[in-house]
Amino acid sequence: MNSLVFLLVRSAKNSLLELRRKPAKLALWVLVIAGIGGIFLLSLFTRQSTAGSLDLVWLKGLLFLFILIFVVIAVQKGLANGDVIFDMNDVNLLFVSPVSAGLTLMYGIVRMAKMAFLAGFFILFQSNSFSVGFGVGFEAVLLVLLGYMLAVGVLQILSLLIYSLTNGKPRRKLAVRMLAALAFIPLIVYTSVQLVGTGDLLQALENTLGSPLADWTPVAGWASAGVVSLISGDMSNGFLFLGLLILSGVLLILYIALSNPDYYEDVLVATETDFEKKRGLTEGQINTEASSTKKVKVAKTGIGGLGASTIFYKHLRESFRANHLGLWGVWSIIMVLGAALFSVFMRGEDGGTLILLQILMWIQIFMIGTGRGLKELYIHYIYLIPESSFWKIVWSNLEIVFKVLVEGVAAFAIAGLIMGEPVGMVAAATLVYTLFSFLLLGINYLSLRWTGADISAGIMIFIYTIAVIVIMLPGLIAAIVLGSMIEGIGVLIGLGVLALWELLAALGCFALSKGVLHHSDMPVMRTGK
Amino acid sequence: MIDVRNMTKKYGKLAANDNINLSVGRGELAVLLGPNGAGKSTLIKSVCGLLRFQGAITINGYENHTMEAKRLLGYVPEFPVLYPMLTVAEHLEFIAKAYRVEAWEEKGEALLRRFELDDKKMKLGKELSKGMQQKVSVCCALLPQPKAVVMDEPLVGLDPHGIRELKAVIAKLRDSGRALLVSTHMIESVEEDWDVTYIMVKGHIARVCRRTDLAAGQSLEDVYFTITEGKDQKDTL
Repeated sequence: MNSLVFLLVRSAKNSLLELRRKPAKLALWVLVIAGIGGIFLLSLFTRQSTAGSLDLVWLKGLLFLFILIFVVIAVQKGLANGDVIFDMNDVNLLFVSPVSAGLTLMYGIVRMAKMAFLAGFFILFQSNSFSVGFGVGFEAVLLVLLGYMLAVGVLQILSLLIYSLTNGKPRRKLAVRMLAALAFIPLIVYTSVQLVGTGDLLQALENTLGSPLADWTPVAGWASAGVVSLISGDMSNGFLFLGLLILSGVLLILYIALSNPDYYEDVLVATETDFEKKRGLTEGQINTEASSTKKVKVAKTGIGGLGASTIFYKHLRESFRANHLGLWGVWSIIMVLGAALFSVFMRGEDGGTLILLQILMWIQIFMIGTGRGLKELYIHYIYLIPESSFWKIVWSNLEIVFKVLVEGVAAFAIAGLIMGEPVGMVAAATLVYTLFSFLLLGINYLSLRWTGADISAGIMIFIYTIAVIVIMLPGLIAAIVLGSMIEGIGVLIGLGVLALWELLAALGCFALSKGVLHHSDMPVMRTGK
Repeated sequence: MIDVRNMTKKYGKLAANDNINLSVGRGELAVLLGPNGAGKSTLIKSVCGLLRFQGAITINGYENHTMEAKRLLGYVPEFPVLYPMLTVAEHLEFIAKAYRVEAWEEKGEALLRRFELDDKKMKLGKELSKGMQQKVSVCCALLPQPKAVVMDEPLVGLDPHGIRELKAVIAKLRDSGRALLVSTHMIESVEEDWDVTYIMVKGHIARVCRRTDLAAGQSLEDVYFTITEGKDQKDTL
């Protein structure tokens, strides 16, 4: 036991000491903590207004959906490799040491809880959205974080148990899949009945979320019902559902520890896979397809183009081989469906397209890096090809430009149709969204050029995010000022101004990052391994 | 062909390479030796234009970032990174078209045959073992028939056949007038063919050793341990 406590305490202490040698990391933490403290203080002096805010049942629905995503991930992971609760150094040093397997499991779970807390950090920044949307304060944010942590913790253990029980047993895997689906069937049936009865999707969803069926749905229902009950002051229900979550976690741990003392083998595959993935990242293999076990059928072969354009044709071949939709993958479908669902909620309300545009632009800040063009910078080929750097970058990013344009047209056209927006508005929103992606690419290259890529990925993302906000600010101010000066078509004028600013700023960023392939170090993904 | 003059590469305050001078002529095999962390990979990446540095690096007189220099240079990285969704044949096609290599099919076929990859042409990058990936990486570097070839630990991960073939390819490249700069930990693998060895220690070139500098009965390994450990290996036995 002493050795495990020593490991936890010493690791935490060393992480803190490391901050003395990494001032940028320290500054980042200070900023994050100051930000959370600021939000907390602001919430103390701001009176929550419930006027115009949504019913708490919708907060429950959001939380339910959010945790449901983790449920699906946990079941999938459990059926594949199990979840990662240990590091490779634990496997090499701890598993072979004379420390009891049960205590080692507890150690893994404590470490995992720390990771779940760090992963849920972003929830703390949602204070303003919660206040405006639901009229609740900072204490509600803390409760949501608690619910999230408990749910994610339970799901990680569940994932480990699923792997342990189904590894190499296809019939059991099928049974788990069926059980996972069955758990949600009552909810789907109830919603369908409500929909037929009321004829209104929103009303049907509201009725379902308010029903005991939603509350008693495992994990997602328990966590969302527990948190929202506590927020609304219903302590008994709150403690009941969160207690249920904790109890199920404890029972799962007990079951694994008592029934399967030799669980090391079960966690080994996940740990090794994770380690290999991280090692691949540091070696430059940042394509997620490299570690995918999905069977790929090689039908059409060959790459078109000549010189720099070959990079674009290579991207086409890779994308169409990776999935049947080519450039437009699962995310594109989720985005369009999400936009459509959002539009159903916003029908009849003012400014629906603008809110949708804002949400999609925020998401795009972090999704732009998933394009093959930016990933290409982590592999040596693009640097060595004897072609103009400018054209190499242009051809390398053409794929993401096509992708974003089509996604934008589809999402805003469908949303516009549902919300009854005029064609001009749909076109303007699509233009702003597409040019924003173009600007984000420019800012990415500018960040690389400015820093020389000689910094950690975390600091790079921080600099990039700040740069996006600073560069967008003048355009946003100009758009709001000019747009508000003109009656009637003010919004369209504002969007036009913003689109123009995005275009000019993007061109400026590309011009300033000229020679990025010559004047930056080839970036390396640092994973801490 | 490969000229490095007063080259320094710093990461913050740490000088990974400190005032390096090195040159590799046509038909010459230069070997970079040194313990872990000596700065060999940093030097190799700088030569290939993947890192910024102070000083000058030229390939056949062209600054290493120019298109002329890139046309002359082939690079085998330490870690073979292939595109997971491209087949082996498509990797060669990509390089051939990006480098505008003419009649690449025959050259590609010959390389694949040499490294026993001709039956793996339709395999995807992600389906290959580490050793196979290394072989494809070597084929990609050699397909444009570069005049200067830079290899970072090229033998790591290869099977005995792969090692034998790559050693033969290296010897053939040298004999055909190519300049080769090879970093390795496996001293015995280059013992037969090396012309000049640069022994690096803590970012510096601690010794430049030409084959003609060796005393009778002295091996490259003896020189290496004398420099890196300050005494003859025989003394330690």
